[in-house]
Amino acid sequence: MPLVKVPKPKFIEKLKRFFMADLLKGLGLTLKYNIGAVTDSDSVGGKGIYTEQYPKVRPDVAPRFHGAPRLNMDPETHDTLCIACNLCAIACPEDCIDVLAMDVEIVVAGKPRKKKVLDEFVFDTSRCMFCALCQEACPTWCLELTQDFELATYSRAGFVWNREMLEQGRETVKYTR
Amino acid sequence: MERNRLLPSGRVGTGGGVETSRRTLHAVTQHGTGAGCPAWLALIMHQVEIATTRETLLDSPEMVLNMGPQHPSTHGVLRVILKLDGETVIDLDCDIGYLHRGMEKIAENRMYTMIAPYWDRLDYIAAVSNGLVWVETVEQMMGLVVPPRAHYLRTILTELNRIASHLLWLATHALDIGAVTVLLWALREREEILKIFERQFGARLTCHAWRIGGMPNDTYDDFEPDIRRFISNFPTRLDEYETVLSENRIWLSRTVGIGVISAEEAIAIGLSGPALRGSGVAWDIRKSRPYAAYADMDFDVPLGENGDTYDRYLVRLEEMRQSRRIVDQALDNLPDGPVNAKLPKIIKLPIGDYYHSIEGPKGEIGCYLVSDGTAQPWRVRVRPPSLINLQALKQMCLGHLVADVVAIIGTLDIVLGEIDR
Amino acid sequence: MITLTFFAPINFLDDLLLKFFSPETINNVVWPFIQIGLVVTLVAGWVAYATYLERKISAFMQARLGPMRVGPWGLLQPIADAIKLLTKEDFIPDKADRGIFFIAPYIAVASAFIVMAVIPFAPDWGIIADVNIGLLFVLAVSSVGVLALILAGWSSNSKYALLGGLRSSAQMVSYEVAMGLSLVGALMFARTLSLSGMVNAQSADSIWYVFYQPVGFLIFLVSGIAENNRAPFDLPEAESELVAGFHTEYSGMRWSLFFMAEYAAMVVVSAVAVTVYLGGWYFPFVYRFTEANGHHNLYVIVSLLVFIIKVLVVLYLYFWLRWTLPRFRYDQLMDIGWKWLIPSALINIVLSGLGIFLVQALNGWRGFKTMESISAGLNLTATGKALMIAMGLIGLIITGLLLSKITESGSSGFCQNRERQRPGLRFEIQM
Repeated sequence: MPLVKVPKPKFIEKLKRFFMADLLKGLGLTLKYNIGAVTDSDSVGGKGIYTEQYPKVRPDVAPRFHGAPRLNMDPETHDTLCIACNLCAIACPEDCIDVLAMDVEIVVAGKPRKKKVLDEFVFDTSRCMFCALCQEACPTWCLELTQDFELATYSRAGFVWNREMLEQGRETVKYTR
Repeated sequence: MERNRLLPSGRVGTGGGVETSRRTLHAVTQHGTGAGCPAWLALIMHQVEIATTRETLLDSPEMVLNMGPQHPSTHGVLRVILKLDGETVIDLDCDIGYLHRGMEKIAENRMYTMIAPYWDRLDYIAAVSNGLVWVETVEQMMGLVVPPRAHYLRTILTELNRIASHLLWLATHALDIGAVTVLLWALREREEILKIFERQFGARLTCHAWRIGGMPNDTYDDFEPDIRRFISNFPTRLDEYETVLSENRIWLSRTVGIGVISAEEAIAIGLSGPALRGSGVAWDIRKSRPYAAYADMDFDVPLGENGDTYDRYLVRLEEMRQSRRIVDQALDNLPDGPVNAKLPKIIKLPIGDYYHSIEGPKGEIGCYLVSDGTAQPWRVRVRPPSLINLQALKQMCLGHLVADVVAIIGTLDIVLGEIDR
Repeated sequence: MITLTFFAPINFLDDLLLKFFSPETINNVVWPFIQIGLVVTLVAGWVAYATYLERKISAFMQARLGPMRVGPWGLLQPIADAIKLLTKEDFIPDKADRGIFFIAPYIAVASAFIVMAVIPFAPDWGIIADVNIGLLFVLAVSSVGVLALILAGWSSNSKYALLGGLRSSAQMVSYEVAMGLSLVGALMFARTLSLSGMVNAQSADSIWYVFYQPVGFLIFLVSGIAENNRAPFDLPEAESELVAGFHTEYSGMRWSLFFMAEYAAMVVVSAVAVTVYLGGWYFPFVYRFTEANGHHNLYVIVSLLVFIIKVLVVLYLYFWLRWTLPRFRYDQLMDIGWKWLIPSALINIVLSGLGIFLVQALNGWRGFKTMESISAGLNLTATGKALMIAMGLIGLIITGLLLSKITESGSSGFCQNRERQRPGLRFEIQM
């Protein structure tokens, strides 16, 4: 077995070792942290305690965060923005989106036309890996991953979101204590 | 079988001490002659039988200890089978595959743009680096020119990711050796990096950071101040870790001379990254085959001397300082312009194969891609640094104690997501 | 001065008891029972809150908050833990030795709690049992705790537990020697084995023996930490190597009994360290302001507070070391025990004997007056004290130098030692 050569220590190093300077340095630092935590101050970061008390204090989630999906609606007419183009379902690597469209007869400039509109939208959040490829594929800014991150449910079926849940959002209990 | 025939039926199960065997002797002499077997032979056979059944754990000089897959310090689901003499390791075998998800096979059935989020899940500690090796492989194979701003941002964010990965390594390595406080200090700094990732990419761990041709978004508003604040605080924090560990006599006695691997052996096994540089081999892909914007950066590659755990520790700490230097330079020289190149709607690669590798935090992570001209790869193969570094485990551990095995697994800095894929 | 009526109820209790029992019964039966009940409940509560303290202090050292959710600042956390542990399933592994598995935690707790009987918490009614061989009793009973760990490790039928049990037995047996030897120096000064006698000797001499015996104190602290299996010597339960060591297979209440035993043993060792080296309940000026003015109960209670604060300081040292230092390896631990602590304890005994001899010889030489009496503990004058403290410091340096000469030449790493001890070890390298 190869042994590592350790250079012979100088006198000053021996002296430091004798007075346990190496251990006392570390002990001094932890004591500094202990005092800093009590007074909540630190020389570098300015604060001594970094704990985020999550359920009590809601975290500050970034605007770009990829969280729970949502189908956006027109703010004025409250119609869905989705045009049932199926691009999100194609872009999804995990095949967790199903877009069901139906044809509706409408009259455009006096002529009857068929228009494809959204019937049902199924999003399986248990398979989703929140890569945001669907959000990037959406041409109308309809499908969006929001800042909502509390997605736990009590059953597997609860992970499958239908159109109503995607449009209204799911109600989550916000614990404050 | 024969012995049962020789003995009276009541005697068979009662072998318990001298008294019983004497009684069996009596029984054998009575019945043994009739069976055509010498009485003394039957007696010896019987006694041998008693001796073997009564052997306990203490009679054997060796003990097989099954470490993992649910062991707290095998960094995931690695299973190490140790053969111990006392507490000294005399043989060792690794059992991997508990986290196999078939990433390479999945990639054969996905479009090129869809594969990047899967690559984040290989080495989930360094998802940004992993994403970079995939997009750069595809870009270079299709001959896409990426705008310089994207290259610089890739450099900055992969170096931040290297710091985050090394911080997690330091945290777990120190925890394995027993310094629990360093764990939480290191995770605190890692949290700052993860917050930057969350604001930039929208996710903290598996970021899905890059797209083929550039980046999904330009930087967010406070990008530069956030990173500047982090890199100005970071050296002081590194000094704090060093205060607790670097000169500590317990830390030294636990790491110096442990898991020594010479430069020749390290090259022969195929180690890469800090595990190789700890043995004194100057090999860094950022220098030898520069990718992203590393060609414009000025940084040093730290090298160890002895190839032991302590040297690898020092190498990684110094790498964090150098990463900070790179981030600082890249931020100073960050060019303006677009972050995305023009891309066709559906990416199709030319027929052929291509290999590209980058210097990940764990070592050389490479991607070998074979294309048949369709929108999906024909075959993808990852060169996983953790798997190849793990091969050195046996050689490093033999002759050391159980406690050292834990320290050596820590110093190799393995991630099971990448080993098993 | 006004008599403090706040402390009257204790006298009142005495009067009340006298109506029912004879004075002998009160002294021999009733008071001990009251004291035992008080101590057991208080110490159990103390142990529970020691876990809370440790969690808080470790959190502060790591820039965290620690328990915050149960009660204000998490103050009810120990109670919540106790309820959780009591209601958990009591799981016994298949093929475990059930009888031994059952009994091991009780041995651990009992051996830790019995020692509390002889520890003098405060003068007068603060002493439960004034055994005249108190120190020997402490060493003897606390070493029974080793048995619990070995039995737990053996009976669990698990390799991790077995390794932990073996480690802990080796560790505790070897550190017990150093612990016992380190106390001899202090015994030379106190001239008694009774723990309250040691406190009285220190208060009569108005000094803490840590000044006379710096080496002894250091050895006692280190071996005490090792004896309690605390970091950096927590090898029997090193969670990164042996999962949880000897209590790997324990869960629920039995596991918490081991936990209680560990913390109780910690309190015991700190209490002994305080009694022998830090003057026990003795603190300068306390006697002069309370007992000398006739406030007896106030004196006892202030002394009790002094004792508790001293123990807390030593406990803080425990936490501080644990959350700063990495863990030793097994062979290094044995090195420290046998090659450093035991030799230095022996050197300390010799040097203390020399010191006492010197002080006695110097007394009366050319008008020097070093000591006043030697009957109940060594009673030195200011000159004698200065001389003794100087000798203690010189002893610290001499011990260090001698040890570094003795041990550093012989131990150049584990690898060489192993090759010397076991030349025929096999290595299966297939390259």
